[in-house]
Amino acid sequence: MIDIQYFVDYYNDFPFLVKLVWIVSGLMFSAIILLTIYLKVIRYYLRKKDKEFTKFKNEYEALLVEYLYADIESEEFNKEQQAIILKIKDHILFKNKRKMIISILYNLMNEVSGEMADSIKTLYYKTGLIDYALTRLKNKNWYIIAKGIGELTRFTVADVHDDVIKFIKHPKREVRKETQLYLVSLYHFEGLSFLNELKEPLSEWDQVQLLEILQKLDDQEICDIRPWLRSTNDTVVLFALKLSQIYNQFEVKDSLMDLLSHQNKSIRIYVIEVLTHLYGIEAKDKLKANFNDLSIEEQISFFGLLEKLVIPSDEPFIEKHLFHKNFEIQLLALKILKSINIDKFMGLNNLPTHKKSPAMLKLEKIA
Amino acid sequence: MSKNKIVLAEDNSTLSLLLKFRLEKEGYELFMAVDGKEAIELIETHKPDLILTDIMMPFVSGLEVISHVRNELIIETPIIVFSSAGQEEMVLKAFSLGANDFMGKPFSPNELVIRVKRLLA
Repeated sequence: MIDIQYFVDYYNDFPFLVKLVWIVSGLMFSAIILLTIYLKVIRYYLRKKDKEFTKFKNEYEALLVEYLYADIESEEFNKEQQAIILKIKDHILFKNKRKMIISILYNLMNEVSGEMADSIKTLYYKTGLIDYALTRLKNKNWYIIAKGIGELTRFTVADVHDDVIKFIKHPKREVRKETQLYLVSLYHFEGLSFLNELKEPLSEWDQVQLLEILQKLDDQEICDIRPWLRSTNDTVVLFALKLSQIYNQFEVKDSLMDLLSHQNKSIRIYVIEVLTHLYGIEAKDKLKANFNDLSIEEQISFFGLLEKLVIPSDEPFIEKHLFHKNFEIQLLALKILKSINIDKFMGLNNLPTHKKSPAMLKLEKIA
Repeated sequence: MSKNKIVLAEDNSTLSLLLKFRLEKEGYELFMAVDGKEAIELIETHKPDLILTDIMMPFVSGLEVISHVRNELIIETPIIVFSSAGQEEMVLKAFSLGANDFMGKPFSPNELVIRVKRLLA
């Protein structure tokens, strides 16, 4: 008691600043102790959770393999399989276990094909997991709906088309995207019909994802893309242009020609690229006639087309643009001239330096 | 007659278990590895008759496993690689390193058994 009183008196005699330092030190020391205990508890909890996860995972994996090999030849479920279904049905009442079972089923479904993939899908139905996914579609939170649609896509549940299609005009982009992926994954080119009425922009990333799915399909017979080339939604037009390029849609050349006068510059530039790819020689005269009205990017794109589709009668046009104000066009014009009339190209070397274009000087330096 | 030994290197535990079950049913002895590092250890210890390996694995990839088998251990054990969509370049590399066959995921375990039998015949 005397000792404590001594320390209290000793402390009281300290100047204010020293007192403050002691208080702060004490607080920090307590915080360190508390945080250490907290970290220990968290670590213990996470390890426990991890152990449980591994235990359940091993258990479910074994159950799944047992189910898949129970009697693969038989169409009817045997007693063993029925018992497994019942067991899983009980377990999926708990959210974390349900999540784990879905992830195991999905991981395996991605890796195996044929009758085994069909069996996994059947298990998804029989255990009632599909009902949970369908319940998610009725949730008021958009992210739950998106997750639900994503799950139905992964398990290729085609018979809920009507439940999913109603989200195609959902205000949230993520929900719309999941719906689009569902339609294309399950209904392939036919699923692209949502483009007919799409008013919202289709982002570059959305387009890449859709194309990725389409390119993995066995059946590469594409539908008529002309209506999308005429769409009022510019992103739909751009997507249709990508389709026409990837799937070599020579039959849509007329629609592509119309797009050369589209109001959106990105579309006009991309159309020239697609026409180059599809050997759209018909575009040359139209573009030549309007050349001076085109933007620099379009002009460069057109010279890219000429580089591929040039014929000797294009020579005067090329020559006219050897001294274009844009360096890239100068260079392309020189390259094209070299390919159609090497003598004339070589003759340019005789020009005095002050009369040469920057592209000519650059080429001279490289040579 | 002793069983043919197979080393299976696959990081998807469910697929590993499924293939183990299937191949053991066919009379093979399976040694499982969850990554390339473990696979190399098992190959060096057990001298298997066949190696099944995924291309993308943690720590040491399937390509490194093939390279180790062909260039370090200098053995001709048949190797089947598993690849996913979009890994065509990797498959070509695997063949140039000395892989004997490949199966693109998703694949049918029954088809794998046929290929294994053919290589071990």
